[in-house]
Amino acid sequence: MARYGMALDYKNCINCKACEVACKEENGVLLGADKHRIWVGVKEIEGEYPLLDIVSSTFMPSQCQHCDDAPCEMVCPTHATYYDDNNVVRVDVDKCILCSYCMNACPYDARYVDDRTMTVDKCTFCSDTRLERGEVTTACQNTCPTKVRTFGDLDDPDSEISELLRTREHFSLKANLGTKPKLFYLT
Amino acid sequence: MQVEVSRRKFLQGSVAMSIVGGSSIGVTNLLASHNEKESKTSITTKTGTGEAKEIATLCEMCVNKCAALARVEDGIVTKLNPNPRFPKSKNMLCPRGNAGIQALYDPDRLKHPMIRVGKKGEGEFKKVSWEEAYEAILNGTDKFTGMNKILDEEKDNRSSFLFCAGEGMAEHTFKQFYSAFGSANWLNHASLCLQTVISGYGVTLGGYPQADLDNAEYVIMAGANRAEAIVTPDTMDIFKRTKRRGAKLICIDPRFTNTAAKADKWLAINPGTDLAFVLALTYVVITEELYDKKYVEENVAGFDKYKVNILDNKYTPEWAEKITNIKAKEIYKIAREFMAHAPKAVYYPGRRSTFSNNDFQLRRAMAIFQGISGGVDTKGGLVFGKKLKLSPHASLVPLYDRAQARAVNKVERTKGQVGYSDCAVVSGGGSWVGWRNRYLENKMPYNVRGMFIYKHNPMMNMPNTQKTAQMLEKMELVVAIDTMPSDTVMYADVVLPECTYLERTDPVKTFGGVEPSIAQRNKVLDPMFETKPVMEILRGLTEKISKPIFDITKKYDEEVQSEIKDSSEEEVYAEFDLTKPFEHSQEEVNEHMVKGLYGEEAVEALKKHGVFYPDMDKYFKQVSANEHQYYPQKKKYYSVNGGKAKTESKKVECYLPNLAKKCVDPMPMWHDEYNFNVPNGKFRLLTGRHAQFTQSGTSNNAVLRDLMPENYLWINRRVAEKKHIKFGDMIEISSSVGKTRIKAYPTEKIAPNQLFFVHGFGEESESLTWAYKNGGNDNAVIEDIIEPVYGASSMHETNVEIRKV
Repeated sequence: MARYGMALDYKNCINCKACEVACKEENGVLLGADKHRIWVGVKEIEGEYPLLDIVSSTFMPSQCQHCDDAPCEMVCPTHATYYDDNNVVRVDVDKCILCSYCMNACPYDARYVDDRTMTVDKCTFCSDTRLERGEVTTACQNTCPTKVRTFGDLDDPDSEISELLRTREHFSLKANLGTKPKLFYLT
Repeated sequence: MQVEVSRRKFLQGSVAMSIVGGSSIGVTNLLASHNEKESKTSITTKTGTGEAKEIATLCEMCVNKCAALARVEDGIVTKLNPNPRFPKSKNMLCPRGNAGIQALYDPDRLKHPMIRVGKKGEGEFKKVSWEEAYEAILNGTDKFTGMNKILDEEKDNRSSFLFCAGEGMAEHTFKQFYSAFGSANWLNHASLCLQTVISGYGVTLGGYPQADLDNAEYVIMAGANRAEAIVTPDTMDIFKRTKRRGAKLICIDPRFTNTAAKADKWLAINPGTDLAFVLALTYVVITEELYDKKYVEENVAGFDKYKVNILDNKYTPEWAEKITNIKAKEIYKIAREFMAHAPKAVYYPGRRSTFSNNDFQLRRAMAIFQGISGGVDTKGGLVFGKKLKLSPHASLVPLYDRAQARAVNKVERTKGQVGYSDCAVVSGGGSWVGWRNRYLENKMPYNVRGMFIYKHNPMMNMPNTQKTAQMLEKMELVVAIDTMPSDTVMYADVVLPECTYLERTDPVKTFGGVEPSIAQRNKVLDPMFETKPVMEILRGLTEKISKPIFDITKKYDEEVQSEIKDSSEEEVYAEFDLTKPFEHSQEEVNEHMVKGLYGEEAVEALKKHGVFYPDMDKYFKQVSANEHQYYPQKKKYYSVNGGKAKTESKKVECYLPNLAKKCVDPMPMWHDEYNFNVPNGKFRLLTGRHAQFTQSGTSNNAVLRDLMPENYLWINRRVAEKKHIKFGDMIEISSSVGKTRIKAYPTEKIAPNQLFFVHGFGEESESLTWAYKNGGNDNAVIEDIIEPVYGASSMHETNVEIRKV
């Protein structure tokens, strides 16, 4: 029993996409640009050459926010989306009917369709691979060259993530929606 | 639903593994290849929760050699994880490192030895046994000439064979073959890569230093793109500290790169004018007396001459503004800030291809600028670090009396001073393009008729692809050792398939630095199909050819003839026995290289952990989930030379009279021909790298294609708008040497008179499912211009035209 979350030192991100490949290789995610559990968000830079706005080209690593009040879980008619024992938002492939309500409800666009099972898939925090083997990091955290991510138990006051959130300023994405994400962006 | 081809099925051989066919396949198959590409799409394999082995290897997806742990489940590599024990790569694997599994399970891999049966370059091959392949090399076939005939006709001139290799841990093994064979013609990646930077720093500071980006407070990164062209540990060290978190990063680049995005300041510079920028920085620190006077007095040679050069030529920031397009006030500011932070300030040396004709002088100017700041061999500055020793192992370098010296043309440069026709200095790796062009122009001092290529792709890796094709066509015997059916392999007469890096143990290697270590690539799986490591390939080859070609030596070499008379043929042959360097296994050689110096403990650590350094057990520990300690702070080798340069004089060398004798500026100076000019209607073509692919070596990797399906042409958004070019429009780029086609990406990240696309795409080999005609090939249009000092290819000196097609 834990309440897993992740802190992201997003200013470290260089958009190399090592996390995307590590995630796919670890979890057997389908190839294809539209099949991904995690990604790095980039937008085209603002300004005119050579007067460009550096800040406008921030790289934002993102994925399922594992919200404590997850809209995807609320709208699921078959209870396929559920919280597991570690408060990780999961999808039960046996229950999913691909109605895609959850995909529309998710404010973070974190869900896609796995063509093999024809069900919705998303980040699991490596629950059925690394965590099940007793490892304490996710594939994306482990491989990251600039160490953007720190994964851990938010309920454990001694965990590194708890310490980070106590000592560093941070924000959540679309906090105004009240979804209570468990991903925290460190500033 | 997508057709799944799992990696397990790949192993069972149920995938239709097309034997390399080339254009003989014909038009119908070519059109069908689209569907074939889809059905061949392999998937990633989910890791399991049951029993698994973990084997320590070193990555070979680029040149960094980061440490990885291969997870093997039921004989299949299911995941490559970072190995936390290696101080160089510090517990990380980049996207390419993660996609290394696909290099192993690429269905297009070379699987059997093959010999050419069709027309040269068309890629029509016949699958043969290893013995038949070796026999074909020695005695030829009805399609190509064998080594025996060539060496006999060239009267045992061993230099009638050219040897070339790409960078890699086993390059050393192949080079032993070259040395034993006795040729003087060795060409490697250096003149297409970092020759000028290594040499520029080498002659000025006495070595190519590393930058202590873990402690530097101020970093100028000019023409280096560490966020995309990843170098370990630099990439990991710097980007955790930028954006007001300990290190100020100034990025100087014509393009707005990912490094620019992470910098505190980005200044767009005109291509090829960095030298003017550094000269102006130097002007500021000299006139304002900001340099480290004590350090300069004790540790810098020729400073007075250099000072006069800078002042008399009036290399002012105002002068540089006109040339570089960087505002004078910025140059003043950067010079002052740099020196205020020195010696914890770094003008980052970089590690890249030669871009402009003045690159060697640029590197000298950068090294001198760093030198006068006092930031040499010191924490936070440039560091040499320590390198752990390895025991040498026996090699064979026989003396062939008939072998001629390297095929270069000597000329008198200044009175009494001999130089070369292509360039002032010929380095060990030679000038690839200079050599190729002279070969095509019949300007060789003797006949070169055969060629061995190891892990090298000349068709893709050097400017003017058309000329490379002509060279390969002209060679009577081309032997290629590779893992993939590259464009170069298509021109081979004999193809010897090497296994991938995950299927072999490579020579143990020492990695110098602030935290030195020794690392070893251990075999993860046995080689698949009929592939072999290069060590075994050469063992088989030399067993076949050694005696027969010694007979040719005996026939022509009078020295050998008289030696035989004096002793016995057996005794003399022992010195010429080419099989000698390959008689032991790589594992045995590696053990020998470390055991004597570090004991059995090191041998075991390298097998188990892939890494060893003295006291590793004591020092190495995990500090947090993301951090490890390799050496305690006090044990790190920041300073190994008392803060001095490593030149013979132990001083930073500003003025080198030897260069003047070779008609090279003895100290960095600006010349008008260095000015950046693009005729109206044309564009300057820039090339470079990024984090998801390594040159042409990974172009067929389906997992990496997932991240970036092809390369795109960066064109200024406003220029594109005027030309009605939209994202994805196909553009034809042409120069004086050729054409290529590529899709457009209009962006403000590039200047209106410049174009950019990443190198390594647009291969022509039809045997590469994913890389075939995918994107544009920069070397099809880059002109074969070489810089004057080492004959290195200048990649950014070509102007091009574009046309929407």
